[in-house]
Amino acid sequence: MIQFLLHVLVISSVTSCVTLGYNFVFGKGKILHFGQLVQTMVAAYGLWVPITQYGQPFFVGLCISISLLLIVTLLLSWLSMRLEPDGYGVLSIALHLIIIAIVLNWNSVTRGALGIPKIPRGILPSTTFGYAIVCVAVLAAWVFFLWRVDKGSFSRNLSALSENEWHAQSLGVSRARVHAIAFSIASGGSLISSILFSPYQGLLTPSDFHFPQMIFYVMCVVAGGPGKLWGVLGATTALVFLREGIRFVSISPSYIGPVQLLLFGAILFISVWIRRDTVFPKERKI
Amino acid sequence: MQLVINAFIAGSLAALIAGGLAFVYGILGVFNLALGQIALIGGYTTWWLYQVHSVPLPVSIICGMAFGALVSWLIFEVFINPFYKRHRFLPLVTTIALSMILDAVILMVFRERPRSILPGVKEQISGFGITISPVQIVMICTTLVFLFLLAYFLHSTSFGRKIRAVTQNDIAASSLGIRSGLMHRIIFIISGVLAAAGGIYIGIDTSLTPVLAFSLTIKAYAAIIAGGKGNIWGAILCAYLISLLEQFAIGVHWFGTFYISAGYQQTVALLVIILFLLWKPNGLFVSSSRKA
Amino acid sequence: MKKLFSIGVVCAAVMAACSPASQEPVKIGYIGPLTGDFSGLGSDTLNTLEMVVEERNAAGGVNGREIVIVPADGRCNGSDAASAAQKIVNVDQVDVIFGGMCSGETLAAAPIIEVGEIVALSPISSSPDVTDAGEYIFRNYPNDALKSTAMAGYFASEEYTKVAIITENTDFGSAFRDAIKAELPEDVVVFDEVVEPGTKDFRTLVTRLKDLDFDVVFPNLQTPANIAAFMQQLREQGLEQPAVSHDVADTAELITIGLEEVDGMRAINVPSVGVGTELEAKFIEKFGDPVMGIPFVSHSYDAVNLLIDALIAADLDEELTVRDYLNDLEVYNGVVGDFSFDENGDVVGISYALKEVKDGEWVTIADISIDQ
Repeated sequence: MIQFLLHVLVISSVTSCVTLGYNFVFGKGKILHFGQLVQTMVAAYGLWVPITQYGQPFFVGLCISISLLLIVTLLLSWLSMRLEPDGYGVLSIALHLIIIAIVLNWNSVTRGALGIPKIPRGILPSTTFGYAIVCVAVLAAWVFFLWRVDKGSFSRNLSALSENEWHAQSLGVSRARVHAIAFSIASGGSLISSILFSPYQGLLTPSDFHFPQMIFYVMCVVAGGPGKLWGVLGATTALVFLREGIRFVSISPSYIGPVQLLLFGAILFISVWIRRDTVFPKERKI
Repeated sequence: MQLVINAFIAGSLAALIAGGLAFVYGILGVFNLALGQIALIGGYTTWWLYQVHSVPLPVSIICGMAFGALVSWLIFEVFINPFYKRHRFLPLVTTIALSMILDAVILMVFRERPRSILPGVKEQISGFGITISPVQIVMICTTLVFLFLLAYFLHSTSFGRKIRAVTQNDIAASSLGIRSGLMHRIIFIISGVLAAAGGIYIGIDTSLTPVLAFSLTIKAYAAIIAGGKGNIWGAILCAYLISLLEQFAIGVHWFGTFYISAGYQQTVALLVIILFLLWKPNGLFVSSSRKA
Repeated sequence: MKKLFSIGVVCAAVMAACSPASQEPVKIGYIGPLTGDFSGLGSDTLNTLEMVVEERNAAGGVNGREIVIVPADGRCNGSDAASAAQKIVNVDQVDVIFGGMCSGETLAAAPIIEVGEIVALSPISSSPDVTDAGEYIFRNYPNDALKSTAMAGYFASEEYTKVAIITENTDFGSAFRDAIKAELPEDVVVFDEVVEPGTKDFRTLVTRLKDLDFDVVFPNLQTPANIAAFMQQLREQGLEQPAVSHDVADTAELITIGLEEVDGMRAINVPSVGVGTELEAKFIEKFGDPVMGIPFVSHSYDAVNLLIDALIAADLDEELTVRDYLNDLEVYNGVVGDFSFDENGDVVGISYALKEVKDGEWVTIADISIDQ
């Protein structure tokens, strides 16, 4: 049982790194987008394809991954400025699906649906216990970093922009810069996840990046309280444990799927209902 | 030439769904990401009535669409109404939750097995280098009839005029005594009926599986983004255009070197979304409301 | 049906509890896609597992010990399969594992299963990566390399020099496509397209095929329904070339859906699997038509029975483990053929036959030998 709990702990820590980053963009900045998994996919494939398929050392893979990630991040933040929020949301979904299509079809590089097996752990521990410790430590460091950022001027700028763009800009807040930094933070979360998660599973396949996973991130941020660091951390942990914990409830196998969908759909709906005033805030009139 | 026919077949389907969606999006500014599921519900209901209970096909189809209307109305009351006045985006998230719940219900009731309303191969007519079945011809014609009916409704009835008034300016319309809340509901229900018709179409042409919903929704969104916010005819036209593009762009050796493989067929719709959003964020056919 | 089964389980449990030699039940873990896009595969394999366990329990279980199933949902992806494996290996502590089904599930669950030192036997994972997945990972689904050798040989013998391949982009389809392309000479494959999983509308592809000069088409798709749809659309457009597929096509369901459009279609499959077998009739009676086709049911049937045989032997002999039993297995006479395992846990010994749809039925017309 301990093993199982440690395993879930690994998953929840890694997922939290991503959702906390996403929280900055979506929760605090109120920039609605579904491109978080795009960042994670680019980071993961950018990191591991050079290492496993082309025999490059870790450092080279890391550089390639970071460069690709930067391009995607800048692209996303540029687009967030150019488009209306409606269009941006739809565009990010489109981007996500396109990247998956590329990964699936570009067999010579990504091995398509088969995925890349035997991702090496390198210096990372080979036991679940050791791995869990590493993940929790990394999460703690990431939380600390984000907490410091949260207290800083950047975070205030981000909130100001989200409440009223024009007023904030007239006060000297540069929208381009703030968006770029926000998306970079989110990409940091993606990078951590790609470094930690793929070796843990030992396998990198496109099936880990399907759209429902993105919805899960949205759920974590909405349920935890958009913009609230500790809230989102708690919500992510709770939801991951819930998702894995459902395995212990004995429902007839033909109903497990629908029940899970129903449960999580209901959770999302209720979270939005409760938080309907904070997810997308109304402008303060006075 | 066959490709054009293929495009017409696929495009009619997309046009049905996109048309209703454009309506909703244009007026309410609301995203309904559960639209694919509504389409499936319409299709499955018709299947259930026709195949399981042997209700005559035309009656099944009408009931399927009626049920789609009912479900849309319920969706509006629960998932849209309490939210869209606060902020336009909330329904985006709530309809995602809705789509999960509807997926669950569809799975529980109808299981993963593909269901076809008219199974078996359809006889084909050939000529002029194309082959098509009578059923498909009927479907394309029905779609066009539907769309024309919609046009008539909007432009030539007083009810339609009220809806158009609400489209152009919600508040001004209310001040003239038009009940915009009711109009919103009607608009939403119409989009549901059209979606259900789309689902029935799929059930007749191929078969229904629970996993189809999402790609239907995405295709419809590609069409309305390209067609321009709120412009129904733009959306419908773009639906056909996108289908055409999908058929022709694949497998061709562009510039002699660049080959788009079939796996990217769905991607075409997505690329359309992206290109339009960047190049013409307001769509191909922008209809501005009269300011004075 | 499931209600009867659970009542049966309860009665058996009560009886076991009352009997003087009551012992712990034997647990067979299951990892497969119970939910998600491939849930049809999950339901077929789990149903087969239940069917066999019920039969064997009625015949005495494992030396009087009752067999219990512990299902876990792998959702056909790595992270869920890993969690599933963690649960059934470390929490439920099953004795053997039947699964994973999708290759991704097997590969992700493998490290956890290796550490737990429990045998896992997969009836379906076909990816070449499963060969080195681990010492405890076995599969009784032939490595695609074998089947594709058979198919390539058949094409050569029929003097087909232009082959068109349509593949559904799943790990099952991709693996097979890679294997067959490796076997066929370079310029033989004139059309090689990959479609999204679940595609039912092949009209664009068929339109392109119309303008192409080819001898035979190979629909490398995931379900009989998709193959039937493809054949319908192919014939609708007037294309008469022969079609050859693999085991997914060799089902009664293909003929039910495809009707006369699939007449004359051929498939290469293991000989005794397919239409008209007693197993198929039994399955259909209990659960209805299998969603993904009878071949997977047949491989599952053999896999579960073999696992239970191994459990019985290991239970009687202190020194013998399930893994040793499988490794030392000389031959197992199963529904799919007589087979055993090589040192990597891959199955060997399954031969192939060429079948054709004649008068609304699958008929074996020839045996295909391959050098191994």
